[in-house]
Amino acid sequence: MKKKESILGMAFFGPALILLTLFLFLPMVLTLIFSFTDYFALNPDMTSFVGLKNYVNIFKDELFLKAFFNTVKFVLIIVPCQCIGALLLALGINKVTHCKKYFKVAFFIPVVMSLAVVSTLWMDIYSPEGILNTMLSQIGIDAQPFIHSAKQALPSIAVMSIWQGVGYQMIIFLGGLQNINPALYEAAELDHASAWQKFKDITLPELKPLCVFVFITVTIGAFRMLVQPMVMTGGGPDHSTYTLVYDIYETGTMNWEMGLASTMAIVFTVFVVILTIIQNVLTKGKGDKHVNKKAKNI
Amino acid sequence: MRKKKYLLLIGLLAVGSLTGCQKKEVQPGEVKGYDEGEEYLSIWVHSIEDTPEGQVYRQSVESFNEKYDGTYFADIEFIPRNDSGGGYSDKINSSVLSGDLPDVLTLDGPNVAAYAKNNIIQPLAPLTEEERGEYLESILDQGTYDGKLYALGVMESSVGLYYNKDILEEADIEVPDLDHPWTWTEFMEILEKLKPIMDEKNGYPLDMTFPVGETSIYYYAPFIWSNGGNLVSEDGLTVEGYFNSEENVETMNYFRQIVEKEYMSEAPIEFLFESGRAAFKFDGAWEVNTLYESYPDLNFGIAPYVVGDEWNKERYTPTGSWAFAASAGTEKIEGATELVKWMSGVESGINIWETAKTLPSTYEAFEQIEIFQTDENYNMLYEQLSKYGHPRPKTPVYPQVSTSFQQLLESVALGGKDTQTQMDKSVERINAKLERYMKE
Repeated sequence: MKKKESILGMAFFGPALILLTLFLFLPMVLTLIFSFTDYFALNPDMTSFVGLKNYVNIFKDELFLKAFFNTVKFVLIIVPCQCIGALLLALGINKVTHCKKYFKVAFFIPVVMSLAVVSTLWMDIYSPEGILNTMLSQIGIDAQPFIHSAKQALPSIAVMSIWQGVGYQMIIFLGGLQNINPALYEAAELDHASAWQKFKDITLPELKPLCVFVFITVTIGAFRMLVQPMVMTGGGPDHSTYTLVYDIYETGTMNWEMGLASTMAIVFTVFVVILTIIQNVLTKGKGDKHVNKKAKNI
Repeated sequence: MRKKKYLLLIGLLAVGSLTGCQKKEVQPGEVKGYDEGEEYLSIWVHSIEDTPEGQVYRQSVESFNEKYDGTYFADIEFIPRNDSGGGYSDKINSSVLSGDLPDVLTLDGPNVAAYAKNNIIQPLAPLTEEERGEYLESILDQGTYDGKLYALGVMESSVGLYYNKDILEEADIEVPDLDHPWTWTEFMEILEKLKPIMDEKNGYPLDMTFPVGETSIYYYAPFIWSNGGNLVSEDGLTVEGYFNSEENVETMNYFRQIVEKEYMSEAPIEFLFESGRAAFKFDGAWEVNTLYESYPDLNFGIAPYVVGDEWNKERYTPTGSWAFAASAGTEKIEGATELVKWMSGVESGINIWETAKTLPSTYEAFEQIEIFQTDENYNMLYEQLSKYGHPRPKTPVYPQVSTSFQQLLESVALGGKDTQTQMDKSVERINAKLERYMKE
């Protein structure tokens, strides 16, 4: 019986395992191996091991470092804004009594749209004679270059990304809000708790596990920033919106330097993993306690 | 090293057997039209079959099979590419590794050097003098690397300096003929004269941008060449002293002046020229058709490309497009060469013009298409292309040269950074890519 079950189990699991191995694990292992070689896509026969040379070189490469810091900048702008924005939107929609569906759909639509389409749309919005500059001129502000200036391009793209992505996290928070037991609020009201106290002592703790999830997914998403700068600025002006993933892409596919690109990918992955672990450690402890407490209460 | 390659091959094979796409020898009768006694030639093209360009390739292959019935049979496969060059080139890259390249493949003109240097394509079988003479010099030049002819294209391209006839008339400016283009100094004076007129129209003398991608080097490298400069050495392996030469510093500073004096908008504004708010615009040959069809009221002409003050009738204007070449692995080089010649020949050329409105690459095709004789704008583009066309830099690290050139325009012309410093940085970056070719 047991053996039969395990065969059946393997039969279900097998195809997934094979596909995962081929398309996920094997490429990952190969990337790691390639990162120690000078693998060149146009001439694979010439490949040789170069040890840690790639790793030393990329940290000497001004462009890679610039891409790295640009990515960090993106993360620093996007993560707090998008997380807090999503929470505020969810709270707002939760309070709204009329047209709730309309607001939900309105804020969620950008998530459904293709990133390339959204980026193209925003290029028009940001253009020198676009809608945004027209509106600014109405209130007496000079036309801004937005994505055409090295100073404003990165924040401009970040704002667009937040607008595009915030709806998804909003829906997650909304689900969380609706799952909070109304009895908790009723009890709080009996105790004459203020709105802020209710938010601080009921809503926030109840949403904590979700917050951790949203925080981590937004961070990873922001690190993977590629399409927006690729479509809108091509990484410019003057590399001000050139991101890590963009650098990996250009190095690997445009310049055929697969070895070097693999090294960048490994460094990128290690960095994101470390960051995620730190986030986990910082946020998980309290969340777990809370869950345990809740379980005990039940 | 070998082990690693095997590991990868095993992976690829496993994927191949899963998806059922492993390569196998095609036998006569398996493909419709492939008969006993014919030599089978596979060909990959970079477009979608349903596009005008794809249809031309399909028709050319069909007429090739008709003409060489009993001798050769060509089998075409369409592999779409996206704007940034993925898709098709990914397929090429993975096939280089697995050794599954077709007999004939398409490649972008500037990549001839990289493909030849890395032994992905091989020289074509020798062409007779007469055969060579059919092609525009620019297309032969583009396909030649290290003295050998590797690739021939059916498409050529050109960029024109479009001007608004009404505005130039208003400013009392005469347009010179092809052999006596405006020099930098003259052009700067014209822009200065036009500035107040265009300010009144809420526009700019020049509708010009330095976009990311291939456009920038394609449109503006002629300013380098007509000023006696170069981006790379003759063999394509040195940039120090070429890319960052004094002449090129001058060129970049010229662009900087245009931006500084506000003869062009720093941030791109759409349809400046089309809406009559710019006197000049640099744009591809395709723009003529767009203007005729979408802006019939716009009274425009094409002036010869601007040249450096010391220009001495050297070739300098933009050219180039995708071309056909024989893969290094094919043993059927005679057949492959026949196919390349046919695909890029007169008949295909006329067809590519009629179907896709792309410039052909042979003299006879141009002569047989009436509009290149009767329409002054098309005639101008043809004359400029055949007389002064210059291919883009021929170097195995072309992609890096192209990106560096665009970035230079952005940081120096638009950003106002120090020209020499930025150029030296570019050289350093290109040198890093060249390193692998220096080992040999």
